[in-house]
Amino acid sequence: MPLLEVRDVHASYGDTEVLFGVDMHVGEGEVVAIVGSNGAGKTTLMRTIARLMPANRGDLWFGGESLSPLATHEAVEQGLVYVPEGRRLFPRLSVRTNLELGAYSPRARDQRDATLETIFQLFPVLKQRESQLAGTLSGGEQQMCAIGRGLMSKPRLLMVDEVSLGLAPVIVSKVYEAIAQIRQLGTTVLLVEQNVRQAIKAADRGYVIKHGRVVLSGSSDELMGNPEVRKAYLGM
Amino acid sequence: MLEVKKLSKRFGGLTAVNEVSLSVAKAEIVALIGPNGAGKTTLFNLIAGAMPRDGGEVVFDGRNLPHQGSAATCLAGLARTYQIPQLFTSMTVLDTVLVAGLCRGSSIRLARIEAMDVLARVGLAGREDQASSTLTISGKKRLEVARALATQPRVLLLDEVMAGLNLSEVNGLLETIRELRAGGMTILLVEHNIDAVLNIADRVIVMDQGRKIADGLPREVLSQPEVIRSYLGDGYAVA
Amino acid sequence: MNLHRIDYRDGDALGAVLLVAIAIGLPFAVADRFYLNLLFLILLYGGLASAWNLLGGYAGQFSLGHTAFFGIGAYSSTLLYTMAGVSPWLGALGGMAISMALAFLISYPVFRLRGVFFAMATIAVGETVRIVLLWYRRIADIPYGISIDYKPGFGRMIFAEPRSYALMAGIFLLLVVGVCYAVSRSRAGYYLQALRDNEDAAQAVGIDLRRYKLIAFLISAAFTSLGGTLMAQYVLYIEPSTVFNTTISIDVALMSILGGIGTLWGPLLGAAVTMPLQEFLRDWLGSAGAGAHLVVYGALLVVIVMLLPQGIVGAWKDRSAKRRRHGGQHARG
Repeated sequence: MPLLEVRDVHASYGDTEVLFGVDMHVGEGEVVAIVGSNGAGKTTLMRTIARLMPANRGDLWFGGESLSPLATHEAVEQGLVYVPEGRRLFPRLSVRTNLELGAYSPRARDQRDATLETIFQLFPVLKQRESQLAGTLSGGEQQMCAIGRGLMSKPRLLMVDEVSLGLAPVIVSKVYEAIAQIRQLGTTVLLVEQNVRQAIKAADRGYVIKHGRVVLSGSSDELMGNPEVRKAYLGM
Repeated sequence: MLEVKKLSKRFGGLTAVNEVSLSVAKAEIVALIGPNGAGKTTLFNLIAGAMPRDGGEVVFDGRNLPHQGSAATCLAGLARTYQIPQLFTSMTVLDTVLVAGLCRGSSIRLARIEAMDVLARVGLAGREDQASSTLTISGKKRLEVARALATQPRVLLLDEVMAGLNLSEVNGLLETIRELRAGGMTILLVEHNIDAVLNIADRVIVMDQGRKIADGLPREVLSQPEVIRSYLGDGYAVA
Repeated sequence: MNLHRIDYRDGDALGAVLLVAIAIGLPFAVADRFYLNLLFLILLYGGLASAWNLLGGYAGQFSLGHTAFFGIGAYSSTLLYTMAGVSPWLGALGGMAISMALAFLISYPVFRLRGVFFAMATIAVGETVRIVLLWYRRIADIPYGISIDYKPGFGRMIFAEPRSYALMAGIFLLLVVGVCYAVSRSRAGYYLQALRDNEDAAQAVGIDLRRYKLIAFLISAAFTSLGGTLMAQYVLYIEPSTVFNTTISIDVALMSILGGIGTLWGPLLGAAVTMPLQEFLRDWLGSAGAGAHLVVYGALLVVIVMLLPQGIVGAWKDRSAKRRRHGGQHARG
């Protein structure tokens, strides 16, 4: 049984319908990528799964339990953690404080110090910049800090939205290296990525979203270099 | 009709628009596309006069247009819409278009008659007295276009006007845009909806990381390796 | 300006007749001295609030510093009269000119601010004028409080009968509301509404924000100043703490909000509710001490605003809109 299951989900912003029946799933221990051009609905899908916005129709299941009735913070307690697009760190708090705030739920708080150690091993640069204000970090460092903060909640599923947005290619590689290690440590990862090649390299499977629907899905091998993917983005 | 020469804009250390040049001929529809963060909206805002430039020129109908703010740009003949509709929340549909028409010096009575005509052209006839805030997203987008049209522009700048519309709404709006071009309107549009772009644009310009990386016929541009790489990364070029 | 290009609408004539009946008719209809004095206050504050409303309601620039203009009006006419024998009718014009000059001077920095910050800046302006006046007394020989001798005479704008004052206030109200009406139904009115709703979009359709905000500001300041003169001529005594008082700034805004901000009738209705309320509460609780009447007044205001967030006019419009909707088809097309 998959860790996350999304069935026929519809969602809208006000009176604008954005998702028109999305079906997807994420198995335990997998890394799954969601790709698609701007405005396709990738972030909307993530936010709906994270319970930041309601699904008008359809079902969401996490670890066998229904996700729909939960509020965002309750989903976090269940182990569903969302790292937002654009990082959204607390700029005037230190790196360390940002990370510590990630361990909000009681379960995470108990293991806070141990988890913090793990994260500093994962992202050594964060240890170096421990007492620096988060707003002064570079883009890549901020992304690492945001992911670290997400990890502090001890997630079963870590969702990262727009992993490489605004980051230099060299930094992007480092972030993806970290994601690979995160998977080694047993966390399932669902990520949204604009750069298709990068996403598919890092993931086991992928979904291509266009105009609020899944138009293509498959394993990385199937999607790599697949002209159907290009058609989904550029129409030809 | 509209010529942009080496336009640049910097925000602190980030060069959002890097010496971009482009031109749009009369009654041409040109689409500006590119991945997230490419600088399309910034370029758009520069042309529309909504922010000052750090370099370059805008030449409109042969005349150099210095940066004078969005009100002056509108009076010069470039009208724009907003990606997220910026409506006059307390106004009716008719008044929204009416107030835009007043900038050409007409009396209120005349502006009202002209507004009704514009509303008919964009397909909002019959909704004159509706509160603009109660329109659907499709209606709001059309109202944005109507409001811009009421200022009697020669160039129309459309910012992601298809965003949030379903397929039939997109087709409807494309039809309206085609009619505008048939009437002689010059249109520059920023779009993410590539299908719509293929459908309507005479030419496509692609931006990535602040630079123009392609400029030409839609199908040619969209199969260029550099364009594909900017959206998808390596490995997806047309075989 | 394009005053001859006014966009008349159905029902405007009826409203005009009603307003004239109130402003001119009531002063003649009411006999009791107490009520005539109250009527003077209602009509005067109705006019002051209407003047504020042009800037705060129609243009959406929420000023809390209008007492500056009120005080300038009061002091200009009073000083010109007591020191140079100038008729207050003319002195009023002098005050209006000075107020408009002040408005013009501060408009550039102040209109760069929006929302709360604009309001705060205007409070500062109000206070600054008062303090400057106090400071000026060190060099010029102006007494702290200035009284005007009670010598009735039309040329001196001093009347024996409260009825005359009420009538004068009524004409003042008609003048202010008339101008507000003309502005709101003109091109400027549409522009003000647009810039109030969305400044960026307003600019994008060619509206010169600064110019129209300034027009509203100048008119608003001028009429507030005129009101200050009228009040000075009624009370016949002015001092900085009474005419340069933040309470006045707040009152005119409050009345407009209660009655219906951005509407023609709102300010008058607001004045018609709050002035008697203040009087009544002061009579009833004034002797209870410790400002009890103010506490009750404040509490009542909060309750009214909570019940009628759109003001009296707003609530009335909502009810008639609902009635129309239930009788006909949906508003959504």
